[in-house]
Amino acid sequence: MSATDAGVIVAAVLTLAIFSFLYRDNPFYRFAESLLVGVSAGYYVVHYFDSGVVHKFWVPVVQQKQFWLLPGGLLGLLMLARLWPRVQWISRFAIAFYVAAWSGYLIPSVLQERILKQVAGSLLPAAGSASLGAFLGAALVLCGVVAILVYFYFSAEHRGLAGRVSRVGILVLMLGFGASFGYTVMGRLSLLIGRFQFLFQDLPASLRHLSH
Amino acid sequence: MAPTGSAWHEGLSRVDRRVLFLAVAAAVALPLLFPLNLPIRISQEARAFHREMEGVAPGRVILLSFDYEPDTMAELDPMSLAVLRHAFGRGVRVVAMTTYAGGVGIAERILAQAAAEAGKSYGTDYAFLGYNPDYSATMLRIGESLRGAYPTDNYGRPTDELPLLQGVDRYAEIPLVVTISASALSEYWVIWAGGKYHARIIAGNTAIQAVLIYPFLQTGQLAGMLGGLKGAAEYERLVGRDGAGVRGMDAQSLAHFLIVLFILLGNLGYLLQRRVRARETRV
Repeated sequence: MSATDAGVIVAAVLTLAIFSFLYRDNPFYRFAESLLVGVSAGYYVVHYFDSGVVHKFWVPVVQQKQFWLLPGGLLGLLMLARLWPRVQWISRFAIAFYVAAWSGYLIPSVLQERILKQVAGSLLPAAGSASLGAFLGAALVLCGVVAILVYFYFSAEHRGLAGRVSRVGILVLMLGFGASFGYTVMGRLSLLIGRFQFLFQDLPASLRHLSH
Repeated sequence: MAPTGSAWHEGLSRVDRRVLFLAVAAAVALPLLFPLNLPIRISQEARAFHREMEGVAPGRVILLSFDYEPDTMAELDPMSLAVLRHAFGRGVRVVAMTTYAGGVGIAERILAQAAAEAGKSYGTDYAFLGYNPDYSATMLRIGESLRGAYPTDNYGRPTDELPLLQGVDRYAEIPLVVTISASALSEYWVIWAGGKYHARIIAGNTAIQAVLIYPFLQTGQLAGMLGGLKGAAEYERLVGRDGAGVRGMDAQSLAHFLIVLFILLGNLGYLLQRRVRARETRV
């Protein structure tokens, strides 16, 4: 029996153990769940240590003499101070540096890519649409955005025109949530399909290898 | 006491969940065992994704990022495999990476499968750089130097020595970035690689993530996208090689039909019960 076939059979047994929860909680499910948590934790601890500490710090500093990485390593060590309540405050230096650096990086970029370009994307297509259909689609998006913004404007009471527009905003939001729910169903079903494909295709192939 | 004659529609609201699970399992299993070959309509976004891949000249190097872990393999593996089959089939070379530690094994398996099918060699036709901590820093660093972000590939070989990467070290030298993503990573590729370094990006996403990614397609920040298993199936059809995406679509369609039916029946039961209660209150 090859290692791959053994792996497939173990994976199939564990898949069925997890599925057994759909009937009710049981020891097989709990065993499979605990195994998943334990194996995942072990895998990630080793991987993060190897890729982060060994390859990004130890090898460059100790073997390649890149001593300019030492301050970064020191900041990383300071984070470990959180483990001891009496010196926990030391970790704030590292957190402060990290927050400041990433705020500088993130705020302008996110503002530009997630907000300004999205605002432009909601406004401009309506003005420059090539066809009537494209114009109507873009105009619909623009109206929807405005209606939702009115719904989330809480400094004025939602009465009269503002009330009616905010009702439209709710409808647009509901459409968005509905689309999101539909996609969620598709995503979850895809996972089930993936498991069934594994049970119907990979498992029989491994069992055939065993019987030969 | 239950009102007379209302038992059947009360039953609609009280179906044992295990019955529903069994029905969904049957709706998924049967089409996998006995395919129905239902039609698959190709969306504009999948066509755009395909068009971008077709636009890369043979011999050029694209960057493929496996931005997912085993929990979303069912949806995203078919996309990754189809991208590699498409690229290798056209003579496009691929440098692959992952932003998730759990994505290493997935990337290795799919790269090996696609390379074996197409007879491609490691180092000249494709390479796998592995996992690098901190995806944002990695994306930014590639804008300056890919070999700086990844001094060695996943197997410890210096990236300077990879023939594939001769003359390829920054987004400016990579005609297309492809992210197959299970999270907000597509957005970060847009922000860092697209916004800051003007990289051309296409994204394959899980269905759940697709809703959040559409706005970036509409603004042109993404040049193409695939959403969920359906996106994978559409792309497989465009590439001309059916895979797990197309095979799963019959099951997907039937299960969706069943769930819509459940929702309608549940609501019908609720409405009828409400009507009966209202009538009783009046009496």
